[in-house]
Amino acid sequence: MEDNEKMSFRYTMIGAAICIFIFYLGLILSLFYFVGGKGFWEALLHPNTLFSIRLSLMAATIATFFAVLIGLPSAYALSRFKFVGKGILDTFLEIPMIISPIALGAAFLVFFNTPLGELIQTKGIFFVFEVPGIVLAQFATIAGLVTRLMKASLDEISPRYEAVARSLGSSPWQAFYRVTLPLSFRGLLASIILSWAKAFGEFGATVTLAGAMPGKTETMPIAIFTALASANIDKAIVLILILVAFGLLILYGVRLTGKRYRYD
Amino acid sequence: MIRIEGLTILFESFKIMNFNIQIEEGGFHFLLGPTGSGKTLILESIMGLRKPKTGRIWIGDREVQGLPPERRGISYVPQDLALFPHLKVKENILFGIKARDLDMKIYEEYVAALIEVMKIDHLLERYPAYLSGGEKKRVALLRALAPKPKLLLLDEPLSGLDPSIKIDIQHLLKNLHTSFHPTTLCVTHDFEEAYSLGDGITIFIDGKVEQVGKRDDVFLRPKSIKVAHFLGAKNLYKARILKSDGLLQRLILRVNGLQFSIPASLYQDQMEVGKEVDLFIRPEEVMIIREGKPVKDSLRRNIFEGKILDIAGKERYHLVYFQTMEGKIPFEISIPNYAFRNLKLSIGKIVRIALREESLWLMT
Repeated sequence: MEDNEKMSFRYTMIGAAICIFIFYLGLILSLFYFVGGKGFWEALLHPNTLFSIRLSLMAATIATFFAVLIGLPSAYALSRFKFVGKGILDTFLEIPMIISPIALGAAFLVFFNTPLGELIQTKGIFFVFEVPGIVLAQFATIAGLVTRLMKASLDEISPRYEAVARSLGSSPWQAFYRVTLPLSFRGLLASIILSWAKAFGEFGATVTLAGAMPGKTETMPIAIFTALASANIDKAIVLILILVAFGLLILYGVRLTGKRYRYD
Repeated sequence: MIRIEGLTILFESFKIMNFNIQIEEGGFHFLLGPTGSGKTLILESIMGLRKPKTGRIWIGDREVQGLPPERRGISYVPQDLALFPHLKVKENILFGIKARDLDMKIYEEYVAALIEVMKIDHLLERYPAYLSGGEKKRVALLRALAPKPKLLLLDEPLSGLDPSIKIDIQHLLKNLHTSFHPTTLCVTHDFEEAYSLGDGITIFIDGKVEQVGKRDDVFLRPKSIKVAHFLGAKNLYKARILKSDGLLQRLILRVNGLQFSIPASLYQDQMEVGKEVDLFIRPEEVMIIREGKPVKDSLRRNIFEGKILDIAGKERYHLVYFQTMEGKIPFEISIPNYAFRNLKLSIGKIVRIALREESLWLMT
């Protein structure tokens, strides 16, 4: 009786896990139902498709670069130091995760209509309906996320390593790049890859701020949307498959970073 | 010489007020206190990782408060060792020399000597994860000593080791100290550790220094009942001073109707007749008299007859629980195993015990 109960518990849990797997796999496989239609190859090799891929890769990479540039020191500060307002700062990192991306994009549009926003646009860089707008929208979406993820990686590394490094003569900067950085490297890398993927797939904020101009601001997700809107199923499928392929590659990459040092 | 004066640390529920300590050049000093007494906070303040509210710290003739940790010349071995897992043993060891940009040529011979004393030459190419607990301790000690620190800070260096390895490391620490004389401050809650290694001991309880002294002074003659309790003192009795024998220079005390005699010279004039005091003797200082053997003069004044209530065998010694016939005063007696066999003791047996006068200690 007891054994039976144990087994049925086990089967229920594993069964649920398998259901999720089948659910997603079925979804992906269903795409292939339309593969090979006459418009398929044409859509794949169309200059606009290639442009979208290039634009998405580039924008996501630049957005991730800036997000990490500001996110890594922020993550370190949140992980190691106590300071006034830390709690509020930490909570604010979640804003892009709880606000709808469209709202985030709309907020940018509003901002660029304020005097300060207009000043930035006229004296600096144009963001609205321009490529920098894509980068900015993606940056806004992932900066909080990448900070959060990197903070979690840094939290795993005991500050004692740095304490010892300091006592042995390292400055705080040296202790960071000789000890903490290499020890948390895999975790940081996984955080960066996941954030990049999030930027790569970003739609709502991007389309609101940068628009959906083919050959100009049309990233992959936006291209999928416009293809569907104009009933171009072949093109939509091609783009979705490319996104899925990138996604799987990324997951594999994150898996590789999962191997870690044996800590004591 | 290391000198710390008026160190005050307020952190969360910890309140350490006016902490002072002095360590001679080349000394091995213990900061001994129960877990959670704030000892690690003191280490962190000395290192410069924590800013104390007040206090001055001298290392040699240099005042170091205000300096960052990397400029204090202090090496630190934390309880968890924190060997850098991404570096090989050799790289761990040389970390300090490289970080300080020291000339490797000058240190080569010294480091080689350290490696030899530590017996870790076969481990140099390994990563820390592939070392045993004892090996890790050795590497961590070596890493700390390699840049020739002016002060070595050890946080519970013998904790978490198997008993046999603990003894190895204990010997090693002793050897290291006699060969290289690093000025060392060691924090621990284990008084056996402090007893076997330290020449000076500071007893630190609840954020306060309770006693400072040479090892034997502290262990045989705790200043207060608080210290005695912390040191695991077993034989503690409430006593009253019955008379002060000026001629023999003895104090006569009464415990449960039994009289004890102790030399008055140790207490100057603090002990007036009628005063309530605490009497203490360590279990290993209580002697069971072998029948038919003559008793030494120094033992004659405090001899009591009683019964053995229980016996507990340990690895190196036996604990004998004894109670006097008169007054029913319990004694815990620790006897080395060989002596225990010679005495042929058993539960219920009537024996006599003798207390060396100098081993009895009074606390007010």
